[in-house]
Amino acid sequence: MIRYEIGIVDTRNVIKVLLDDFGFDFRDYALTSFKRRLEHVINNNGLRDADGLISRLQNNKDFLDQFLFEITPETTEMFRDPSFWRILRDEVLVEITRGSANKPRIWVASFDSGEELYSLAIILKEMNLLDSVQIYANVFTDKCINRIKSGRLDPKDLETNEANYQRLNGKFQYSSYYKMDGNTIVFDTELVKNIIFVKQKTNIENDPGAVKLTIFRNQTIYYNQLLHEKVLQKISTSMVAGGFLALGVKETLENTNAYNKFTVFNDNEKIYKRKTT
Amino acid sequence: MYKAVIIGGSAGSFQVITRILHSLSPNFPLPVLLCLHRLKHVRSGFVEALSIKSGIPIIEPFDKEQIKPGKAYLAPANYHMYIELGNKIALSTEDPVNHSRPSIDLSFVTAAQVYREKLIGIILSGANRDGAYGLKKIKDLGGLAIVQDPEECQVKTMTEASLKMTKVDFVYNTNEIIKFLQNIKS
Repeated sequence: MIRYEIGIVDTRNVIKVLLDDFGFDFRDYALTSFKRRLEHVINNNGLRDADGLISRLQNNKDFLDQFLFEITPETTEMFRDPSFWRILRDEVLVEITRGSANKPRIWVASFDSGEELYSLAIILKEMNLLDSVQIYANVFTDKCINRIKSGRLDPKDLETNEANYQRLNGKFQYSSYYKMDGNTIVFDTELVKNIIFVKQKTNIENDPGAVKLTIFRNQTIYYNQLLHEKVLQKISTSMVAGGFLALGVKETLENTNAYNKFTVFNDNEKIYKRKTT
Repeated sequence: MYKAVIIGGSAGSFQVITRILHSLSPNFPLPVLLCLHRLKHVRSGFVEALSIKSGIPIIEPFDKEQIKPGKAYLAPANYHMYIELGNKIALSTEDPVNHSRPSIDLSFVTAAQVYREKLIGIILSGANRDGAYGLKKIKDLGGLAIVQDPEECQVKTMTEASLKMTKVDFVYNTNEIIKFLQNIKS
């Protein structure tokens, strides 16, 4: 259990420095989880407290990338919610790739540490569709891009990931997608070689446009209501009519302004479909 | 005077929590927050099983759901459940704490920060130490700390860890916990 606990005043001070000195806007992040992330960064880097963090940020240019990498919550699992990935494979991906003249655009709008991207790529590969789509991925940091491109995600819980892959009824063996380098798992980087990375500040500024599938799972849980609405608005305008939006299984469009722009495609897995107008 | 009850449990707590929920009347004046260790890949079934005999509705909340009195909120599988200012649920996929997601410590600590002296924390039977630190936080911030009597617990580890870390207000068996909750007036 983390022992250093940051107060609200100190949290606001860090947020102010991030905005004023670096242009990163965390003002509309959900307070409790953001406080915990700050505590995590402070403890992880042997810093004393919030002032120590601020001084490290201001005095060490290279630390910002590390900070942004660590402030983003981990995805922690390959194929999290296997039933979601099954529906994605058997219904959604089939539909968006059917008779499409151009490569359908898939947008992993979440600031993902790589697990969602590799999970998606593995499924597309098993469907022989990896080269028939264009994947765009939002990232915060160079460190994150390097991690994904190197295949060294080092997923923590091999047993869970294996079990998830089995629940998905994958075609092959989970282990056929990685090699061991000592104790480290290194994924086959061919899986992600065609992904276009879009580097962003704090939340979603740029979108690929004409998106047929947006994967944005377990991200709005880290936003407050205001940013939640803003980001959903951005996503909904970037999508084509009939396009799919996947949220986390405990996130819902209900009670948001975006709700009237979508219909529910699969309620259990929280997959929505963009309406025509 | 109290604003919420939060209950943490793990191995051996299912029957206890079922009895407690059964004893609550539909006009129970507080929200009941439940953080129970559960299989992370089994999303459905748990809330249904707990609901069968419960006197109050049990909800597996969505993120940002408003917390209301007379309802129980069960931490969903594979998410941490935080209590956010403004009396709302906030969910998180951050790393497991004490090998647990949901972690009882995290639910308890965040609830303590929001409700402070107006919170009742209860630790039930369990096989690890998750929850001990959270109960201490509740006590430190002025809340009321209750631990199920280890002698009655199927697995004592969690209650004993809590008793070691915190000078709690009451050590109660299940009947006493029920009687205590039934006497809470709005």
